[in-house]
Amino acid sequence: MIRFILLQNRQGKTRLAKYYIPLEDSEKHKVEYEVHRLVVNRDPKHTNFVEFRTHKVIYRRYAGLFFSMCVDITDNELAYLECIHLFVEILDHFFSNVCELDLVFNFHKVYLILDEFILAGEIQETSKRAIIERMGELEKQE
Amino acid sequence: MALTGMRGLSVFISDVRNCQNKEQERLRVDKELGNIRTRFKNEKALTHYEKKKYVWKMLYIYMLGYDVDFGHMEAVSLISAPKYPEKQVGYIVTSCLLTENHEFLRMAINTVRNDIIGRNETFQCLALTMVGNIGGKEFSESLATDVQKLLLSSSCRPLVRKKAALCLLRLYRKNPDVINIDGWYDRMSQLLDERDLGVLTSVMSLFVALVSNNVEAYWNCLPKCVKILERLGRNQDVPQEYTYYGIPSPWIQVKTMRALQYFPTIEDPNTRRALFEVLQHILMGTDVVKNVNKNNAAHAILFEALALVVHLDAEKEMMSQCVALLGKFIAVREPNIRYLGLENMTRLLLVSDAQDIIKRHQAQIIISLKDPDISIRRRALDLLYGMCDVTNAKDIVEELLQYLNTADLAMREELALKAAILAEKFAPDLSWYSYQFLHQFHIICSDIFQM
Repeated sequence: MIRFILLQNRQGKTRLAKYYIPLEDSEKHKVEYEVHRLVVNRDPKHTNFVEFRTHKVIYRRYAGLFFSMCVDITDNELAYLECIHLFVEILDHFFSNVCELDLVFNFHKVYLILDEFILAGEIQETSKRAIIERMGELEKQE
Repeated sequence: MALTGMRGLSVFISDVRNCQNKEQERLRVDKELGNIRTRFKNEKALTHYEKKKYVWKMLYIYMLGYDVDFGHMEAVSLISAPKYPEKQVGYIVTSCLLTENHEFLRMAINTVRNDIIGRNETFQCLALTMVGNIGGKEFSESLATDVQKLLLSSSCRPLVRKKAALCLLRLYRKNPDVINIDGWYDRMSQLLDERDLGVLTSVMSLFVALVSNNVEAYWNCLPKCVKILERLGRNQDVPQEYTYYGIPSPWIQVKTMRALQYFPTIEDPNTRRALFEVLQHILMGTDVVKNVNKNNAAHAILFEALALVVHLDAEKEMMSQCVALLGKFIAVREPNIRYLGLENMTRLLLVSDAQDIIKRHQAQIIISLKDPDISIRRRALDLLYGMCDVTNAKDIVEELLQYLNTADLAMREELALKAAILAEKFAPDLSWYSYQFLHQFHIICSDIFQM
């Protein structure tokens, strides 16, 4: 399962943090610091998977943002790597050519989108169309 | 894209971003927190709408790294708000700020339950989502039955049922007793007939968890899994929206093959044959393509198929195919594939016959030992260690010790340890052993331990 998802920029600022395991705030800060250090220094020519404590982090960089997913050690790495990409495609579609600023000023929408995509640390829905449509339904109710 | 109706929040975010340094930011944030604290103290006068704005601000401040404990109560209280915009904020922010052990969360159980069993579908979804993300044991005990009902209800939209499936998975993980196996013997089988692929995606995750704890109850689900792989493998009846770069839901395929790895054998010859046909098709039919994402998705399926083939203890021919494929992978430029090739070859070692065919790739594996990427070097070391036997021990140990001279700090300890174990285990004669171990190894080790 996915234990947590982080979106961090190069400076280490957290643009999104979703945890599917219970962690205290101090533990979360530690995790965010460690994961950032881990991924920001990795050579782009190296693998997108790296061991983290007793788990592994699957990550990819998109422009100035690092998308990281911490998964169980037995999970299928490439499946989660493409899960990250699908998430980026959904965001890109929703925000019409997404950039970091969109995610900052609309952080609440990003959480909503994420909740349609992943639930309980597992992939819930993989149809971009279904997720975007659902977001449309919800916007009407605002 | 502007935030609708929350100008105050946008302005606040802009203010924070315009701060020149951390000190200024802290001042601005403290000012806002002070304001919010004051407003919250006078709770009776606060409308749900106003509360909503402040709670979103609180989440933003929390994301910046500041403590917002004082506002937890307000976030949770919004869960009881009558209208969607405010209720939504309550659910989402609570999910971000609180964990399952939090006292306030317990206080919300009744409200949450009312939303789940109520008639408002949007409220049901909000509740299922929060419980699925942060629900704990108590939620499990109170809500599992209601969540199950939603999952199995034909009058619920797929939207609700897929959330119910994963919510139930969470509750099960917190308290396995909530799923009564006797009742689920048939239910799970029916759920695997699901036509909606969104629901099937979620259901399959639930299934993997259930079967991993109790294979006995779910034998009737095995042929269903094979049918799903057949359907997706042939791209039959798969709506366009569920194909990813032309590949029918790679995630359902991977999960289904994972589920199958929990079954010790496949008794029925027809099912076994059908599955091997699917696997053969994957092994032979996965090409390397230019598009990175399509390539990754296709190989995600391929690697899971490899794991399943190994688990099923397939015929020698298929195993040779697997090793041949892996032999190809460990030499490609793509680091991800190289890494997975090495990792899967190590897994293959557990199968008795594979060792000989793996040894043919020794040279390439030794090259990987010196790969620029430490993740790959580690996998190569594991593999060399595992494939070592009397025929190649001399070469491998010599290679490890030679590399030890130039290896980086992170690798040295493990390298030294593994080399020592192998040298002792496979020493062809005492003179060789004493030279390797005493002469080279001690010198290098004293280097390490001096640091």
